[in-house]
Amino acid sequence: MTAPLYIALRFATHRKRALLLSLVGVVFGVAIFICTQAQTQGFAQYFINSTIGSSGAMVLRTKFQPRYEGLAVAAKNTTGATNRRNYFEGVSNVSEIMRVSRQFSNVVACAPVLRGNVSARAGFENASVEIYGIDPASQLKATDLATQIIAGKFDDFSNNTSAVIIGYKLADFLNVGAGDAIQILSPGGEYWRFTVAAIARSGVGTVDLNRVYAHARVAQRLLKKPYQASMIIYKLRNPSRAPELANHFEELFQHRTESWQEREEGNLQIFFTLQVSAAITVSLIILLAGFGIFNVLTMSVLSKVREIAILRSMGYRRIDISSIFLWQGALIAGVGSLLGCVLGAVLTWGISKVPIHIRGLLYTNHFLVVWDWRHYFWATLLAVVAVFIASYVPSQRAAHLQPVDTLRGSSL
Amino acid sequence: MNGEVSLSCRDLERYLGKEEERVHALRGVSLDIEAGSLHAVVGPSGCGKSTLLYILGLLDQPDAGSIIIASENVSDLPDQEWSRRRNELIGFIFQFHFLMEDFTAEENVMMPMRRLGHLSESEMRDRAAALLHDVDLGDKLRRESRHLSGGEQQRVAIARALANDPQVILADEPTGNLDTRNSERAFALLADLVRQRRKALLLVTHNRFIADACDWVHEMQDGRIIGSHPRGQRGSITTNV
Repeated sequence: MTAPLYIALRFATHRKRALLLSLVGVVFGVAIFICTQAQTQGFAQYFINSTIGSSGAMVLRTKFQPRYEGLAVAAKNTTGATNRRNYFEGVSNVSEIMRVSRQFSNVVACAPVLRGNVSARAGFENASVEIYGIDPASQLKATDLATQIIAGKFDDFSNNTSAVIIGYKLADFLNVGAGDAIQILSPGGEYWRFTVAAIARSGVGTVDLNRVYAHARVAQRLLKKPYQASMIIYKLRNPSRAPELANHFEELFQHRTESWQEREEGNLQIFFTLQVSAAITVSLIILLAGFGIFNVLTMSVLSKVREIAILRSMGYRRIDISSIFLWQGALIAGVGSLLGCVLGAVLTWGISKVPIHIRGLLYTNHFLVVWDWRHYFWATLLAVVAVFIASYVPSQRAAHLQPVDTLRGSSL
Repeated sequence: MNGEVSLSCRDLERYLGKEEERVHALRGVSLDIEAGSLHAVVGPSGCGKSTLLYILGLLDQPDAGSIIIASENVSDLPDQEWSRRRNELIGFIFQFHFLMEDFTAEENVMMPMRRLGHLSESEMRDRAAALLHDVDLGDKLRRESRHLSGGEQQRVAIARALANDPQVILADEPTGNLDTRNSERAFALLADLVRQRRKALLLVTHNRFIADACDWVHEMQDGRIIGSHPRGQRGSITTNV
């Protein structure tokens, strides 16, 4: 053990109350940082998982053709990049696109979907809904639909072409359960009768309120669409790389392709803002703890002026003196961060058990948290930086005290 | 002075304070202190005794002049080198003993050794115990310094000054805070150790009996040494020793 560390430990342990106060600041700062990040990211992560699970990590839809304008010079006040495409409804050559798509390592599965807006009726209730014509086998591979079933059976849907799966909020609204019948109004003005084979809960409010899954061929006839699919949804190995793949597919297949990040940009921005806001608030707590440590160490320097002069007279260098106070800071940062991480984990676990009733954008019955080592890393880093800054100034002050001033003042 | 010189200074000048309060504290002070000898600096308060001691102890920078310790001119060395030489070559004893309150007698004596870093923990402990035994505190190794009497604290300070076996010991009123009995005892102990171990001792004192017991007495007035007297030739000392 070096001499400055040895002396720092003794100085720190002989001022227990000050040490404890400094530690408490760091411990709570780190713990609350971890806890708030776990919560805000918990809700965000749940939303992301739900939306990817029900609508795919990436969606390819709407064929386009680039519009060439030859050598014509654009007018000065026009933006060159916009409106250069002609869009055509539906996906052409679905099988070929899916076959090529599967060659990409990031693509786990893909499924064609024929989408359209219709009206659903049960009893006296009517609702505008989004019908998803799916191939059950492909859909199972590309989405979490099977795990989202909360009533009825997926097989009952697979084996019956006049069966549908509806969102749980829609089921509540229409007041129907598994096995009940609903009617869907086709664009041609006819009511088609379907059996509700299962009820699904994706966790995303809009999906659970609007979506009806039907068999693709039935949906094609119902919607009177000339094409087989209006979109292909993809399950990806690494959803975070969806934007790059979407750009690539757009160029490759000449179809508009949208990543989940683009699709959910608005919601993701809300979550991000909340997360940053929480991080700023908690960082202020850690900064306040830093001010506390600054005060404690400054007082420590003032109370140890005599000891500093003695040490200097014994040959301790300026760097040794500053190290004594930096070590005290490091001790507070190290122990405080460690205890803060433990407390943060305990609080996160406790909060995940707190009951909460959310039925809007998300569906949850308790606080959602995410366990991520990066929260602990950033909290510790923030605490270490704050404590280092807080201890650096007093340590430099201690190092530059003139021992002779103290000695002369005491011995004249 | 015929012996080996451990510490000497030439033409030291020092000004203290600024502008109107500026004082010429040392005016061309020169001294030679040999190994195994005891030198006392006497003079009225404010004559520059302590200033001289701190400059010789490399705790304060002279405005002019040179300091030679162990045959090396150390006047212009950087602060880090001064610290190293203070640690290796100089031992300090102060009037108010200046022990570290949160540490035991043994830990106080080990403090200079820790900085030096030449000995293991157990070797440092053994050496501290031996030094404290030499100053009759062998039974109070583990006692916190604040729980020692004034005389005991000063003896711990003497042991600490000898911790790294320095060539020079500088003492600023080492008995100024002790009663007569403890004062005589502490000085006798210090004198014995200095002579046995061939250290050079320079002490600042107001105590006539202690000054008389030293090999040399340097009389200071207004920042100058106005007279240096070997033992037995001190009839001319007129200051309030």
